[in-house]
Amino acid sequence: MNKLTPDDLDKMSQASSDKPKDWIKVGMSSCGIAAGAEEVFNFFAEEVKKRNLQIEIKKCGCAGACYAEPLVEVSVEGLPSVIYGSVNKDVATKILEKHVISKRLVNDSIFEVLA
Amino acid sequence: MYTKVILVKDTDPKREDKTRDFYTRLLDYLRQTNLLDQIQVVRVADIGVYDQGMVIKVLPDKITYVNVADADIKRIIDAVLKENEVIQDLVFKPKAKQHRIVLRNCGKINPESIEEYIACGGYLALKKVLGELGQQKLIEELKISGIRGRGGAGYPTWMKWNFAREVASAEKFVICNADEGDPGAYMDRSVLEGDPHSVIEGLIIAAFAIGASKGYFYIRAEYPLAVERIEKAIKQAYDYGLLGNNILGSSFNLDIDIRLGAGAFVCGEETALISSIEGRRGTPHPRPPYPSVKGLWGKPTVINNVETLANIPVIISKGGKWFSQIGTQTSKGTKVFAVTGKVKNSGLVEIAMGATLREIVVDICGGTLSGKPIKAVQTGGPSGGVIPENLLDTPVDYENLQKLGSIMGSGGMIVMDDDDCMVDIPKFYLGFCVEESCGKCAPCRIGGFQMLGYLKKISEGKGKPDDLGQLRRISQAMQKASLCGLGQTASNPVLSTLKYFEQEYNEHILNKRCPAGKCSSLVTYSIIEDKCKRCGICFNNCPVKAIIGGKEEGYSIIQDKCVKCGRCFDVCKFKAINKK
Repeated sequence: MNKLTPDDLDKMSQASSDKPKDWIKVGMSSCGIAAGAEEVFNFFAEEVKKRNLQIEIKKCGCAGACYAEPLVEVSVEGLPSVIYGSVNKDVATKILEKHVISKRLVNDSIFEVLA
Repeated sequence: MYTKVILVKDTDPKREDKTRDFYTRLLDYLRQTNLLDQIQVVRVADIGVYDQGMVIKVLPDKITYVNVADADIKRIIDAVLKENEVIQDLVFKPKAKQHRIVLRNCGKINPESIEEYIACGGYLALKKVLGELGQQKLIEELKISGIRGRGGAGYPTWMKWNFAREVASAEKFVICNADEGDPGAYMDRSVLEGDPHSVIEGLIIAAFAIGASKGYFYIRAEYPLAVERIEKAIKQAYDYGLLGNNILGSSFNLDIDIRLGAGAFVCGEETALISSIEGRRGTPHPRPPYPSVKGLWGKPTVINNVETLANIPVIISKGGKWFSQIGTQTSKGTKVFAVTGKVKNSGLVEIAMGATLREIVVDICGGTLSGKPIKAVQTGGPSGGVIPENLLDTPVDYENLQKLGSIMGSGGMIVMDDDDCMVDIPKFYLGFCVEESCGKCAPCRIGGFQMLGYLKKISEGKGKPDDLGQLRRISQAMQKASLCGLGQTASNPVLSTLKYFEQEYNEHILNKRCPAGKCSSLVTYSIIEDKCKRCGICFNNCPVKAIIGGKEEGYSIIQDKCVKCGRCFDVCKFKAINKK
């Protein structure tokens, strides 16, 4: 890999403002993994492939709300970005079917609203 | 497509959750008014406001209404449909807000991707330092920012760096202290796991400031994921030329290695940590000379905590002046706390210095899980003290917590309710320190052991009135004569509980009673015959077969056999077990 120059850094930091894309982020720090985040992450990855959905599944660190792990943040165009908590396979299925496909927020699982 | 979203949640802890009822009524109203396709109503699990009755949050406006009654539905929906209209008598003005500097990227970026860190402005501070600032201006900027070490003692970071910079030496070192050991504290682990590059960038800047060419991460081996992510991040930084020779095309070189700690609490103390990296037994040394002058292998060494280092890139990017405007007169910036114990929302909270303990524990974390009143909050782990409920309105900063007999520490915060015994708590913490004492100096080794003996006696109901004086005397000796921070602060939990809860000690000593029902020797369980339904669940659950009898003749507890585990009390559905 090429070593970065100061100019490269500037370019890379500005490249971030590209078009918005739908994504799902799973908190994968120790607290999340202990609560089952790995299973949830794999479930999302498989289901998205199976259902051929245009959404990216990403990993992130702990957002701080450890009592509600596993935490899953969902950003879909046209809906507010929210964090779902205590996510298991059932909730994950609802997130895909309701939030991602039907564009409706899922009841009883939202712990935080971001924007 | 919906234009508005309404979130609903009942936050009244004193009644059964009425969220569903209110949700249905809202839907009914929207159906009647033909608005169902414009407004989406969602029940949420947490709305960020506690004990405020029925709460509604309107998106995308982000307006929160509290204590909403059924009669308010019409006027709220009317306001929701109009632009810029707010119902003043119901609107909620948040008291406490988190302020995220250290945790800026945690939960946002993929910790295993250096590209995502750079896309959030990462390593631009390093670029600024190498390109424009230079050593002197960099340290000047830190001085203006007023940042103090986040490991606990609160020493001004710029002074540490400046001492090390001024010493002439061909070789200097920087160390990131990631030996987080306080029970219940995990702020550093979260930063290392969630945003490793921010700490690495901070460490590179520290190395540049003092002229070091070698750095170490000292991480405890119990944090395998943190170690893995830091390893990965270091490798990525090497690949991109952010570590190694000629960093970002400059003449500055730095290599970073990881050293694993075996889990000794004392190795978080800087001189013991240095011994451990050198391959020697992890015991502290008298200071001065301070590590900034004579540290690792006898060379000038700067040791900073994870959280301190994670602050550095932001301070450089946004400027020391910006940072100094956050916080109080003496304590600038923010602090991350790991709030645990009997609290509703346990987790990490980052607030600006000067927020009160009540704001953290009640407004942000939702108070106690049980709904019982808060009895006290413990800060600073085994080196800190217990702060009673009536002092929770104290603004948090280094000085204020010290005045109360506690310390800021690394950021552990344990919430306690009426079920926690103020003799048992210091006994636990002191027991931890006695176990972790390296044994090098007598005040800590012998003093801690003696104090623990007194606490055990008191908790067993064998204490004498002058034991409290003895505890105070030994505490003083330990504070004054111990070699390192572990011994000097180990008595804080005892002293602070003696200061605020002496009555509870006396209750144990004079009346042989533990008001919280925690000290097992002072608790007796018995069966209240009038309430007992003879279901036999206690009989089946007693692990030592101390309960005798049968469904016909009823049950009783043999006191000699009872180990006071409290299992019968917990399993009884009819409150027929008396705990005294």
